[in-house]
Amino acid sequence: MTDPLETRIDAWMQEFARFDERPRALPDPSMLWVRAKLMQSVVIADRAARPVTNAQIGSYLVVAAAWAALLMWKWQALVTWVRGFTPAHIVLGATGVESAASLSLTFLGLLIVLGSLTVLLAFHTILAEE
Amino acid sequence: MNADAAVLFAPLAVRPAAFRRTPKRPMDEGRFEAFYRNTAGSLWSYVYRMTGNSATADDLLQKTFYRFLRAQPEIASDDHLRHYLFKTATNLVFDHFREAKRGRELVEPPPPEFRPDRNELRQDMTRAFAELKPRERALLWLAHVEGCSHDEIADALGLKSKSVRVLLFRARKRLGDVLTRRGLAPEAPHD
Repeated sequence: MTDPLETRIDAWMQEFARFDERPRALPDPSMLWVRAKLMQSVVIADRAARPVTNAQIGSYLVVAAAWAALLMWKWQALVTWVRGFTPAHIVLGATGVESAASLSLTFLGLLIVLGSLTVLLAFHTILAEE
Repeated sequence: MNADAAVLFAPLAVRPAAFRRTPKRPMDEGRFEAFYRNTAGSLWSYVYRMTGNSATADDLLQKTFYRFLRAQPEIASDDHLRHYLFKTATNLVFDHFREAKRGRELVEPPPPEFRPDRNELRQDMTRAFAELKPRERALLWLAHVEGCSHDEIADALGLKSKSVRVLLFRARKRLGDVLTRRGLAPEAPHD
């Protein structure tokens, strides 16, 4: 160290660094160790659970898409059928038989299957969170 | 939680021969405690001098060691582990400044906290040091207090090695000017 400025600054910095400014004790290293290991295990658990979580999200998307497709397929028939329950239709005796007939057994079957899947997914989510 | 926790640190300024001669040791709890006791005090001082706030220094110290333990760098000697620790702390300090700047639209870090237990000289020295820019403070502390080489400083601050010499010279000059203005100029050594 031959530069005079460097020498002077070095001396000043050494004196400055000697001041102990810590108002309290440092954290216990064993506490840091345990917390770090805990964080590591949380990261590992999150990674292990990620495929299950992704599968769950995928299932919800598939079921939602299936509901949307089912409703679009029979939308008109459903609307007509629902309108059959309005007071005007009941009083006037307007029939919804034709529309109800278009709601075939296939549709009802799909309705039951999708409904069951939705309930199963909901139960799975609730039980997983518990 | 950071999903990149398992990425290992790849030091740039480390001589490969040192790795070959010294066998790598895993960091068990006993070794960590010994390493902690050797480094935590000086690391806290560094972070405190950079941020000017003891609570922030406490927080960043813990974050530094958490990152250090999560990364589990496979480095042979304690010197290299220490260098990695200070590099991590430096990154956290600058992240802290960036967040503070986003939140408060400040260009400079806040002034150092007032400590009634400190004497006037210490407070003056602290204020003088706080006038420097964060990078200047880091350069001076790592060079003069931690005794880091230019390569280590460059690695810690994300600079080119060739730039460190010039930046360090400017930082010293700037500190010298601040100290002269405040009447704290260091005296020339007597021969």
